[in-house]
Amino acid sequence: MFRALQFTFGAAIVIFLLMPIFAILPLAFTSSVFLNYPIPAYSMRWLHELTTADVWRTSIVNSLIIGGGATVFATVLGTLASLGMRKGALPMVGLLRTLFLLPMVVPAVVLGVGMQIFLVRLGLASTYLGVIIAHAVLCIPFVIVSVSAALQGIDPSIERAASSLGAPPVTVFRRVTLPLAVPGVVSGAIFAFATSLDEVVLTLFVAGPNQRTLARQMFSSIRENINPTVAAAALLLIIGTLCLGGLAALLRWRQKRSALKTAPSAI
Amino acid sequence: MKAAILRERSGALLLVSPVLVFMAVFFLWPLWAMVTAAFVDDAVSKVLPRTAAIIVSWDGQGIPSEAAQKAFVQDLTAATDEQALGEAVRRLNSAASGFRTLLGRTIPAVKAASEPAQVDLLTVDPRWKDTRFWVALKEAMPPYTDRNILAAVDMKRDGSGSIVLEGADASAHRLIMLRTLLVAAMVTIACAAIGLPYAMLAASLTGWKRSVLLLAVVLPLWTSLLVRTAAWFILLQNEGLINRALQAIGLIDSPLPLIFNRLGVVIAMTHVLLPFMVLPIYSVILGIPGNLMSAAQSMGAGPVRAFWRVLLPLSLPGLLSGSLLVFMVAIGYYITPALLGGANDQMISSVIAFYATGTANWGLAGALGLILLVVTTMLYTIYGRFSTSSRLPGA
Amino acid sequence: MRPFIQFESVSKAFGSVTVVNALDLAIEKGEFVSLLGPSGSGKTTILMMLAGFERPTQGAIYLDGRRIDHLPPYRRQMGVVFQNYALFPHMSVAENVAFPLEMQRVPRAEIAERVERALDMVKLKQLKDRRPSQLSGGQQQRIALTRALVFEPSVILMDEPLGALDKQLREHMQLEIRELHKRLGLTIVFVTHDQSEALTMSDRIAVFNAGRIEQIDDPQIIYDTPRTRFVAEFIGETNLIEAKVASVDDHVARISLGAGLSARAHAGNGLSAGQTASFSLRPERIRLGAVPEGSNALDMTIADCIYHGDHMRVQLTRDDFSLVARCERLAGNWTVGASVVASFDPSDCTVLTQ
Repeated sequence: MFRALQFTFGAAIVIFLLMPIFAILPLAFTSSVFLNYPIPAYSMRWLHELTTADVWRTSIVNSLIIGGGATVFATVLGTLASLGMRKGALPMVGLLRTLFLLPMVVPAVVLGVGMQIFLVRLGLASTYLGVIIAHAVLCIPFVIVSVSAALQGIDPSIERAASSLGAPPVTVFRRVTLPLAVPGVVSGAIFAFATSLDEVVLTLFVAGPNQRTLARQMFSSIRENINPTVAAAALLLIIGTLCLGGLAALLRWRQKRSALKTAPSAI
Repeated sequence: MKAAILRERSGALLLVSPVLVFMAVFFLWPLWAMVTAAFVDDAVSKVLPRTAAIIVSWDGQGIPSEAAQKAFVQDLTAATDEQALGEAVRRLNSAASGFRTLLGRTIPAVKAASEPAQVDLLTVDPRWKDTRFWVALKEAMPPYTDRNILAAVDMKRDGSGSIVLEGADASAHRLIMLRTLLVAAMVTIACAAIGLPYAMLAASLTGWKRSVLLLAVVLPLWTSLLVRTAAWFILLQNEGLINRALQAIGLIDSPLPLIFNRLGVVIAMTHVLLPFMVLPIYSVILGIPGNLMSAAQSMGAGPVRAFWRVLLPLSLPGLLSGSLLVFMVAIGYYITPALLGGANDQMISSVIAFYATGTANWGLAGALGLILLVVTTMLYTIYGRFSTSSRLPGA
Repeated sequence: MRPFIQFESVSKAFGSVTVVNALDLAIEKGEFVSLLGPSGSGKTTILMMLAGFERPTQGAIYLDGRRIDHLPPYRRQMGVVFQNYALFPHMSVAENVAFPLEMQRVPRAEIAERVERALDMVKLKQLKDRRPSQLSGGQQQRIALTRALVFEPSVILMDEPLGALDKQLREHMQLEIRELHKRLGLTIVFVTHDQSEALTMSDRIAVFNAGRIEQIDDPQIIYDTPRTRFVAEFIGETNLIEAKVASVDDHVARISLGAGLSARAHAGNGLSAGQTASFSLRPERIRLGAVPEGSNALDMTIADCIYHGDHMRVQLTRDDFSLVARCERLAGNWTVGASVVASFDPSDCTVLTQ
């Protein structure tokens, strides 16, 4: 009795969590003009629309440009910061870390209002650079979390060993620290890109019509004129994030495996 | 020895400083710009500095002195920045209607005069005899204002300068804040009610069953928020899957209203935020030594009592930090209510966005944003303090 | 002429906590010296100062006549073997071993040859393309050792290198390291908290307590004539009994042990008649018999007898005075309550002042 209850509850929640994702995907292939079931016939017209209609095509290109730019910014800056905060040589590292993670917490609308006022003053409103910077602010925390975790996983005695074997600090960094941190940097970059790809609110505030991203385009499409192109875009995003997520998971798995230095395996 | 520490420290500083500068300029400064937008009111005093210096001493009776009028004319002559002047005019017009047309006649007249010092305002336009305009001008002079922050909580200053409640019809910010808290609380409770048993179930299972439960939590996290919102749109609409299914099995005759109302918002937000509840609880439960339940049972507690006395109290820290997290994220939510809610389900973020992008009222947007920022920061501080100190020993 | 390695009144403090206190230590070339002590006694800090990972707060360290305490680790030419081996997880076994040679800019062809030779020496040549995570604990340990040896450093430092191995493998590696030490004439400084490891491997043992050296001597002297109570208790097992010194004559003291018993024992320096001191007697040096055999003989009663497989532990009492003796077997008629004579030589027991 209790077991049946458990099973029903678990299954119900799993369906609740997964149903929306699976419900939207088939509609990418509907032939109807309504984003709705039943699907009268399967067709590629909405995927075709997504890749040929100007608004959608530019929005995809914009997402890639802005996502790429924000990822580069965030990855470089976040990696440097993680390296700097690593050894605890700085006073008030805790405070710095909190500051750097704060963009995750501050409501997007609040940051959006401030960004809009500020970027207008700088003359960066409605420019690619402005949107890239705004996205980078949101992405930096993800890079810092990921790279810091990777750096924390490096046993300090490994670097000491390199040093005792004759490697000067720069060589230790280049030959030991950096190679061991790379998986963290890459997965941080993936997180950053995914974050930028999905960002809507800041984009609403700081982007002009020329910087409309895919997510932003989906937002206005759902709001104003919903049609199955949204499902096609969703399919594209899901495939994209699943690929990125798979890559990140693979990296994390490899990192974990190489961190098991004293794996007892009888040979 | 000291030198080595100094060298290490300056190296670390060198690495951190780019982000520090970046975050200071592009994160803290914008937030500061938003806060100042709520309080700074210098559009007029910036353009009319001489007038500002003299008119403060005017008692508000009749019209200001000759000297004040002269200073005003001088300021208008000197004002060359069209944009700044335009802002000042807009600010004055919002305080006293008719100011725009008044200045629209005065400014060209003053600028055209060969001897600006000789211009007599009262002959340029007789409306300058109206005390109302001069009062508006004087009250627009102080560079800081509490007008916006008062308006954000439905208050204002009356003619005598004391703070009073806004009329019931004028604004509804308090209502929206209450609604925000209410929706966030509903979502938090829904997440807790589902998340706690779900996390316990996941922790009690092993093998593929546990993997399925966890995957179901993580997969939505990895899916774009827009995709999930669009998906709920498909499910909840009148012709959507849920209504169709309910009609097909004969439970209902006409579609249930599930979208563009409170219910739709809460369902979709619960779906989005559930992972933030499940994951903290799950990790806390995993940290509870497995033999505690067996120990409790060996001491004579039945499974139900062992659950109540051991497992539940020990998982409370996870429940609390998950609830704080969900609530904190929920009060700042924008996209889901904007797309799935009706006019009466808009939360504070929507109002802020409306003032900022819709009416360009930065002051009010900034004031409401400040309130949201302060509440969120407070919740985050509590969350931070709580989630670090409550870890189980050895977990 | 300075010793090969010399610590000259070296102190190390972390904040207000002094970990090493005015340490003087000299190690000769080719010596195998163990730093032995409980955790927190400062032994690892000393090794880290020698390797260059910590700087002394005060004092100087010399290597081969040259002051080195200001040098960074990579200029010290010391091979360090870490507790967890610290192999580079992203490099193969061969790359790990080649690393120090690359750092010395040894020509590529020579590196390959020397790596080959070094791996051959520890019989792990067939594993050279593996990653460290694919090796067993013992293999990792041997690679770490090879990596520390391959660039022919002047000193090898080992920080509890065998701590993570199981007992059998540990004993095997002890012999292997000892053999390498002898064959290559290495100078080795070895940190351990395992007294039997220190006793079996070292030329000399420095026993540490609270940042100071309690005693530094060869293993046999450390065991047989501990100089302080701490050494007596930390190394091996001992009966430590409070006693009163009756007289001292040429390093032999006459002491009264209580319950009307007295004995003659080896006396350390600075012992004088009338003072209270500690009497240390190893359980295995006590001979049990029906009649006295030796210059010290105490009449005792057997209170308890515990079987340990290869030996027995016998609890002896007389009034409130008690001793533990260790012997291979008991004569048949000795049961609990029987009277025996416990005999031991004055040279087998020590009187300690501190």
